[in-house]
Amino acid sequence: MPARRVLGKVGIYVAALALVAFALLPFYWMVLTSVKTDADIITETPVFWPDEINLERYGLAFERGFGDALVNSLLVATTTVLAGLVLAAFAAYVLARFEMPLRRYLLLLVMTVQMVPLIVLIIPLYGIFVDLHLLNTFYGLVIVYLAFALPLAIYMLRGFFASIPRELEDAAMVDGCTRMQAIWKVVLPLVAPGLAATSILLFITAWNEFIIALNFTTDTDAQTLPVALTRFTGRGLVDWGGVMAFSTMMVIPVVIFFLLVHRRLTTGLVLGATKG
Amino acid sequence: MAKLRLPAAPRDPELPGSAGAGPAVDEYGALAGAPPREGRSLRGVFDNRILPWLLLLPAFATIFALVLYPLVETFWLSFHDAGIPWLRDGTKEFIGVENYTEIFTDDLYRRVFVTTAAFGIACVLGTMVVGLLVALLLNQRFRGRSVVAVITLLPWAVPAVAAGTVWEWLFDARAGLVNHLLSYLPGVDLIGFAWFNDRWSAFLAIGIVVVWQSYPFVAVSLLAGFQAISPEVLEAAKVDGANAWQRLRLVTLPILWPLVMVLVIISTIWDFKIFDQVFVMTGGGPARSTEVVAITTVAEGFGRRDFGLGAALAVTLFLVLAAITLFYVRMIREETA
Repeated sequence: MPARRVLGKVGIYVAALALVAFALLPFYWMVLTSVKTDADIITETPVFWPDEINLERYGLAFERGFGDALVNSLLVATTTVLAGLVLAAFAAYVLARFEMPLRRYLLLLVMTVQMVPLIVLIIPLYGIFVDLHLLNTFYGLVIVYLAFALPLAIYMLRGFFASIPRELEDAAMVDGCTRMQAIWKVVLPLVAPGLAATSILLFITAWNEFIIALNFTTDTDAQTLPVALTRFTGRGLVDWGGVMAFSTMMVIPVVIFFLLVHRRLTTGLVLGATKG
Repeated sequence: MAKLRLPAAPRDPELPGSAGAGPAVDEYGALAGAPPREGRSLRGVFDNRILPWLLLLPAFATIFALVLYPLVETFWLSFHDAGIPWLRDGTKEFIGVENYTEIFTDDLYRRVFVTTAAFGIACVLGTMVVGLLVALLLNQRFRGRSVVAVITLLPWAVPAVAAGTVWEWLFDARAGLVNHLLSYLPGVDLIGFAWFNDRWSAFLAIGIVVVWQSYPFVAVSLLAGFQAISPEVLEAAKVDGANAWQRLRLVTLPILWPLVMVLVIISTIWDFKIFDQVFVMTGGGPARSTEVVAITTVAEGFGRRDFGLGAALAVTLFLVLAAITLFYVRMIREETA
């Protein structure tokens, strides 16, 4: 191999190593801090591999609000996923299969909504929440997250529906199924990968959302994990070990979830983008 | 070892915003040829005429009620003076463009918009550059590439609040990892340096978190684009004597330009509306010097209960984003026409 090629190869590995360090170091330091002893956390020389492991903070974080917030977050996220899947699948199916009047504009609308940041709507939404007594309720958060995640979910799912040959449903309907039965028994099983991709999108939206949750849930009983984390951190002297234990428990589930489905998620985004 | 199978993007993706550009992808797949089934029976009428609308209704009703209606309401509210009474019974006083004059004449609000734009543009640039470099790296053949690709994506999944919190700890003045690592460099002693006490260093730290979380999306999208370019085109350029840099600049990037533009639009919207990381890391302080529009909107709207002014701030942000988006969409249209 000529010297330049060798140098190029070495360069690639150095760059890959730097990239991995940049991506992973924060995760490593988060987990490490959460299990270090207090003496190892606040120190003049950083400890990269502690001699002593301290797992107490995890139990402590659970007692100090993590448990309740976890229940709230799971409730909000799973409801958003279930309701979002049904609504998005219906709408995406219609947009993929029927020549609806104004169909082009419906898609344009979907994309426009995608571009409106939550912060622009937060004040009128707050007014609606006050009027309808939705503050501090989990379903209040769910409907906002639905409204915001649905456009992209519909857009993604539409690509999957469009990739299923129409003849399959037609055959089922010739055999006596109604359209709903054909959708339920024939089409939905075939778009399962799309549904998986959409559900992670919905889950992550609901799990990670902060600005609405922060302003619309003032009771500690109703708070989701991101809000509870900021309350747990507090201001002034911060117990970083405890905060990192809290963060670790909040981050690890999404990361695992993400690792399981990332292939489908990226395919989903691309399919959605390619199928018109 | 799990192999990261990257999605095969189409040769000429019909990207959102470039509608109508490029060859018409057969968007209905196999069904384009078949005419819609026109049932004559009652069931046929229901299935083909009524059911579609029934299926669309719930999703679009939700979107209308919670996105489009509030959007109009924000505009309307921004011309009013609305405080606590507005929450109680909707009482508000029409004051014309007074909220907007306040935004454009008040030093604080003006600074907030300039800050948001400067910080947003810097973050978009940083994200695009890092994303492009990562995509170029992952487009090379090397051992462990699939593992590196998955690891690269991880920061994307982290809740912004958690990312902000973890990085706040990394940037801690005395015990933070960043200051310790930087102090290993010769001639550098940053132990005790408080990143968040100064506007510039605070925004540098926040910007790093933002880029850390947003480059994965750009990298994956660009990588999918790279892999969709036919190898023959690049081979031909190589035969003609183009080096790697020229192939990237003169062949790859021009082909992917519409995709790059869409990524710039998406990143711009993300980075201009930034809230979580700033709220967690500085809260807008010290002395409101690190406030961005989203933080100020919440501070005025919910902190001081000046809903009209908050709405005006939000509308201004929205108009800026809409203008930027339109500008880029135009550029895409012109260049692909």
